[in-house]
Amino acid sequence: MHSPSTGPDLAHARRQAIKESAPLLIPAVPFGFVLGVAISESPLNNGVGVFTSLAIFAGAAQLAFISLVGTASIWAAIAAALVINARHVMYSAALSPIFKPQPRWFRWVAPYVLVDQVFALAMQHADDEPAYFRRFYLVTGSMFFSLWITVTILGLFFGSFIPESIQIGFAPAIMFTGLVIFGVTNRPGVIAAAVGASVCFATLGLPNRVGLLIGAGCGVAAGYVAELVLDRRST
Amino acid sequence: MSVTTTFLAALFVGIVTYAMRGGLILALADAELPTWLVRALRYVAPAVLGALTVTLVADPDAVNRGVTLPELVGLLVAGPVAWKTKNLAVTLAVGMSAFWLALAVS
Repeated sequence: MHSPSTGPDLAHARRQAIKESAPLLIPAVPFGFVLGVAISESPLNNGVGVFTSLAIFAGAAQLAFISLVGTASIWAAIAAALVINARHVMYSAALSPIFKPQPRWFRWVAPYVLVDQVFALAMQHADDEPAYFRRFYLVTGSMFFSLWITVTILGLFFGSFIPESIQIGFAPAIMFTGLVIFGVTNRPGVIAAAVGASVCFATLGLPNRVGLLIGAGCGVAAGYVAELVLDRRST
Repeated sequence: MSVTTTFLAALFVGIVTYAMRGGLILALADAELPTWLVRALRYVAPAVLGALTVTLVADPDAVNRGVTLPELVGLLVAGPVAWKTKNLAVTLAVGMSAFWLALAVS
């Protein structure tokens, strides 16, 4: 697939991006519908509601923003959305070594579409050739972005037609379980995921999902310490 | 709240979110990071995604947060399927089917 004379196979990168994103795009549909319904039920102007998908492009933060705009102060809505989105700082740090061989324009464009799913898929391609990685990332990111805008608008008008009884909102949880399992390649990785999940579970009662950040921080530390301990034991 | 106020608030959240997503990529891509940091950063993906999965399952915004039995069944089936098949579409189909089955039974 990757002959050195012709460079990386970009058509393959595109196909691979579509293949790997497709199952993740499916659960984004009901989430976008949930968001659309929340917009239509909130006192927020519908146009501004759809604009949050364009400007913020992060489902959980948008949902918090939209539901708080009606009930709390505008600053509470802003603070909640930003705390929920703070995990992206860690994504940015984790991706920075991969962007070393990438051109400047791509470093500016890529963060705009850096949602959870794109991050998870991109990390699985960390060792790919730069041009291959770039094509994979751009195709994946633009698919998630265009789908998100589309389902937000569709959800605004048709969201109430999905029966609540099938509880389609559980689908993202299954998808991310799969992504975690794909992402762990060694024992410290398993420990990082397990500690991240357990600490987050223990701190669920804290406001604005800060438990997510505490859990993530503890998980990274646990994974790194586990790697040091396992290294020392094997030498 | 006026349309302009909420529009500017959404724009502000969007700009700060972009800064959080891009800040370290733009600042660190050309930097030589210490080895220990590069090694530690490899655990960001499993740690954050593990924690994120918990918030998706347990729904911290709901009144009765926690894991229901059908949800637990769905996850316990999906986990090994993901491990075995390495295929997200299959994982989603089997996991949701187990979840719906458990919902119907309980």
